[in-house]
Amino acid sequence: MTEVPFPVMSQADPAAVGILATWYVRDGETVGDGQLIAEVQMDKVDMDVTAPVAGTIRLSAAEGEEVTQGSAIAVIE
Amino acid sequence: MTITDTTAAQATRRLNTSKAMVEAIAQEMRADPEVFYLGEDVGAYGGIFSSTTGLLDEFGPTRIIDTPISETAFIGLAIGAATEGMRPIAELMFADFMGVCLDQIYNHMAKIHYESGGNVKVPMVLTTAVGGGYSDGAQHSQTLWGTFAHLPGMKVVVPALPADAKGLMTSAIRDDSPVVYMFHKGVMGLPWMAKNPRSIDVVPEGDYAVPIGKANVVREGTDVSVVTLSLSVHHALDVAEKLEADGISVEVLDLRSLVPLDRDAILETVGKTGRLVVVDEDYHSFGLSGEVVTTVAEHDPALFTAPPERVTLPDTPIPYAHSLEHAVLPRHDRIEAGIRKVLG
Repeated sequence: MTEVPFPVMSQADPAAVGILATWYVRDGETVGDGQLIAEVQMDKVDMDVTAPVAGTIRLSAAEGEEVTQGSAIAVIE
Repeated sequence: MTITDTTAAQATRRLNTSKAMVEAIAQEMRADPEVFYLGEDVGAYGGIFSSTTGLLDEFGPTRIIDTPISETAFIGLAIGAATEGMRPIAELMFADFMGVCLDQIYNHMAKIHYESGGNVKVPMVLTTAVGGGYSDGAQHSQTLWGTFAHLPGMKVVVPALPADAKGLMTSAIRDDSPVVYMFHKGVMGLPWMAKNPRSIDVVPEGDYAVPIGKANVVREGTDVSVVTLSLSVHHALDVAEKLEADGISVEVLDLRSLVPLDRDAILETVGKTGRLVVVDEDYHSFGLSGEVVTTVAEHDPALFTAPPERVTLPDTPIPYAHSLEHAVLPRHDRIEAGIRKVLG
């Protein structure tokens, strides 16, 4: 099981909070290694999130939800 | 594992419309060194509506070219490069800005092939952002596709959905005619714009082309035909789903291009339902909506079992105030009212 963290986008503030902007996958889908799975936003900057491993993805954050950088947005089993 | 489980877990690669458009550009640039992209803020910024995000990193500043704010100069540059055999893509940041560079577009880009007796081709793409709905004012919110389509010599494509954004871009770049590729800001799937779930969908990987000039029935129905394009396809599909609960069966035809206009597809859907609602985010008069109605009237007015309805932008500049802007745009409430009107 591999956690997918909200990427670290602020070096200055370890507890910085961003937004889960877009999911490109649905809960329970099979994803490939490196596949685009989400887009996140912090301070008007967008960043793509790709799958670190292949497997079945379980989403743990909803679109529009605020998430602290570094904390999990999904796990891949 | 049952068959149902397999289906549920089926891996599907989704993109938003902007990433789908960029993927097509990148694939064509890898395949053909003559393809390059130029315009304002298309380099490091990645296009103000993400039409070129990431391309500078892969292709560098000689093929992804940031230009000064001089549309006549850089569209003219693209035309010259195209006549010499390159395949430029020039971005006009907003279609609204056509006024400062129209001579290059309609007197040169669109006419050179004809004026040269077919000896000189202009294989370029003119990309441009269109449409309103986000309070950007009267000079940054127009679609103007009817104006481009009215002037002969250019193909005009208007993708609504992510897969078409990729497939039509591929075809536009490969086409030997000048193609105007008009992307609505509201269909791009950008995190900072209004959320629109249909802007994120499965996009075929690898080489993918959608032929220019073929409309697409994006929803089948039997009671009424909504003929539309661009962001209005999304709205029409939302309304069609809602009206299904009332027992109203709505067919939605996405035109996908104005030039060529798929008149056969218009006749086919109106022949099937007998009732036509044209939803067009361009100005009401002298434009696409009248052309669609005329297509049926000239062929066989008896196809109409009810007078057709046009849901369009009133002939007025687009208001800045959010409430007023939404009042004039062809959004869900007006589309539903139009459908109910033709149903009597």
